[in-house]
Amino acid sequence: MASFASEFEKLLPEVEKPGRYSGGEWNTPDMSSPARGDMCFCFPDLYEIGMSNLGVQILYDIVNRAEGFRAERCFAPALDMASKLRERGIPLLSIETKKPVKDFTVVGFSIGFELLYTNVLYMMDLAGITFRAEDRKEDDAIVIAGGPCSVNPEPFAPFFDAIVCGEGEDADLELLRRVTEGREKGLTRAAILESIADIEGVYVPSLKREGYRVKKAVVKDFENAPYISKPLVPTVESVHDRATLELYRGCASGCRFCQAGFWYRPIRERSAKRCASLAKDMLKSTGFGELSLCSLSTSDYTELEALEDELSPYCRERGITMALPSLRISSFKPDMAKDSRKSSLTFAPEAGTQRLRDVINKNVSEEEIDKISVAFEAGYDSIKLYFMMGLPTETDEDIAGIAQICRRLKQLYQEKRHKRGLNISVSCAVFIPKPCTPFQWEEQISFEEMKRRQFYLRGLLREIKGVSFSWHGAETSVLEAALARGDRRLSYVIEDAFRAGACFDGWSEHFKWDVWQAAFEGRGLTMQEFTRARALDEELPWDFIDVGVDKKYLARERELAYKGVTTKNCREGCNGCGALKMGRCTIL
Amino acid sequence: MIVLKYQKRDEARFISHIDLLRHISRILLRAEIPVKRSNGFNPHALVFFSPPLALGVTSMAEYLTIDTDMPAEEVLTRFNASTPNGLHAICAYGCEKNPNLQARVSAADYIYPYPYREIDFSRVVIEYQKKGETVKEDVSSKIFSARDEDGMLCLRLATGGVNLRPDRLLATLDGIYGIKGSVTDIIKTAQYVAADGKFVDVDDILS
Repeated sequence: MASFASEFEKLLPEVEKPGRYSGGEWNTPDMSSPARGDMCFCFPDLYEIGMSNLGVQILYDIVNRAEGFRAERCFAPALDMASKLRERGIPLLSIETKKPVKDFTVVGFSIGFELLYTNVLYMMDLAGITFRAEDRKEDDAIVIAGGPCSVNPEPFAPFFDAIVCGEGEDADLELLRRVTEGREKGLTRAAILESIADIEGVYVPSLKREGYRVKKAVVKDFENAPYISKPLVPTVESVHDRATLELYRGCASGCRFCQAGFWYRPIRERSAKRCASLAKDMLKSTGFGELSLCSLSTSDYTELEALEDELSPYCRERGITMALPSLRISSFKPDMAKDSRKSSLTFAPEAGTQRLRDVINKNVSEEEIDKISVAFEAGYDSIKLYFMMGLPTETDEDIAGIAQICRRLKQLYQEKRHKRGLNISVSCAVFIPKPCTPFQWEEQISFEEMKRRQFYLRGLLREIKGVSFSWHGAETSVLEAALARGDRRLSYVIEDAFRAGACFDGWSEHFKWDVWQAAFEGRGLTMQEFTRARALDEELPWDFIDVGVDKKYLARERELAYKGVTTKNCREGCNGCGALKMGRCTIL
Repeated sequence: MIVLKYQKRDEARFISHIDLLRHISRILLRAEIPVKRSNGFNPHALVFFSPPLALGVTSMAEYLTIDTDMPAEEVLTRFNASTPNGLHAICAYGCEKNPNLQARVSAADYIYPYPYREIDFSRVVIEYQKKGETVKEDVSSKIFSARDEDGMLCLRLATGGVNLRPDRLLATLDGIYGIKGSVTDIIKTAQYVAADGKFVDVDDILS
């Protein structure tokens, strides 16, 4: 073990950004005492991305606080480091104690995005972990997965001994505890897996039979749930290099395309009092110069004003900036912008016409979009707009509506500021039908249609001065859609694609479209089989997971979408989605 | 003004200079050392560094100047209670004004992982990659002296505005010794300011 550490250290000066691997971050817990059982949290992307992941930090903290247990971390090494590790025969090591990842009691992958699936194999390969759970030996580590992609774990289920569906706060530690006890008692691997199968949220793919059900894990007492008071401070600048405070979980808006909005129900808020005290603890223990108040829709947080009043003076005194991402357009106030040094504001109308916004239940009206002019009065000269393309029922008229919004904003800017020169940056993603949403049955528009609509919109926006346009690659959008609603057959496709060179698929410079196409073909499959429309009575690969929200509710929402009828915000009254049975909706 | 002399070693060797700036401002916030701020449009904390240290090199003599009214001893104690492993201040000097080490330092001593022997440095050409191209440079004028430091080779190299990165000499020295040295085994031991044709240790200027 020690020999790997010193061998590994010699590699550091030879690679880019060695701080990604050196460890020693401020607030790293003491790792000197022996642990009964340990868990390595693996994040299948670079250090800079993984260190910004709130989920990993929360779970890491929970395990390290438990007596007798220890959590360490490992991120996907960049390609230069990976080739050096292979060259020298060094397996993937944890950051903290440089212990081989495969020697941990439990190895846990956090999977937040479909295009990370090959990176999971990339890390397993470097670690020397057998890909398929059924091929693992008696003493091999128990390899588990969790994170947002557990909404539909089937495409990657064969790679894991167990998958935590839902929120890992309670499940992860309990799982580690039981696996450790099983090892101490000398239980067989099969017996250990059986012993964890009844933990809420735990799915053991090898035990799946006809009628097998898993109930999503939900944190019941969110107010008092453990939260990181001492987050790790990244050595290398991470993408969200700041203190992040989660105000509440879930979302009251009910946008019909949004997976997180349904998956994280019921809605659970933390009180402003507790939020403020957590925020101060985090800032004190880290020295971060920025605090982000985060949630799926920050304006919907009941006690936002009270929290701002409490934190503003504290932050001002110390020169700390406070950021409020995910605000609704209607809640923008000029004084929010006052303390901020940012020169650009971002809003997400998602669709170009009122009709289509009603279809997707994005309750943003034309009048509200007009309120962006408040920002112009406050001195903003630049704004970013997010849209989606390929939404159900979308026509060219809806796409033209995007250009219309840009023109309207330019006109408002001119009225308020008596000059031209507003910069608008339009970013347009391709709609991806996701499990656990009212649009889970929808077809994704074809590759050719994506290209056509992108070209059409580009032409319209080119005619407007000061508008820049960026869009998501059609290729990655098709692949993401195919993987999102896939079944177990895709595990072979993922494995083949990895072996043929696919990894870091989310990074455009590494994405290999031809490799993926060949991988599907090689298994007699096409991506279109998975991006097609599903019948309402069809059994879906993720139906065995009880997410709280009823399938019937999703179907009803879909029907309303086609009628163009909106559903009210949960704050105005319960819509009866069914998530209540999983725990109390604290906004009701 | 307080000048801290600190070490950068172990894991902290791998913190780049850019990242170090961010780390220092966080350390000062955690330590609750009140730092004066500039008056500009984007106010920033008034802290000043000595010339950047090459990534991977250990240093026993880095300097950080902080504009604060807090007494030197207290700054030292608070700072050390808030640093990650590998960053550690050894002493604190109080001074009237910013000694501007970034601009004034012109040389530094580096101990290399080779036994001392006499080497002819009258012509040393190094090769390195810059923006994807191989650059050749005669650096003999940037090597001021060589001496025996407890049996090891110690070189005084140009540092600051005119600079020789200590790791770029490794390949040349490897060739002379026939062994492979690592950048992580280089140790910076002192920094100097030129005065009256002599090199004066920064410590002597500050105390």
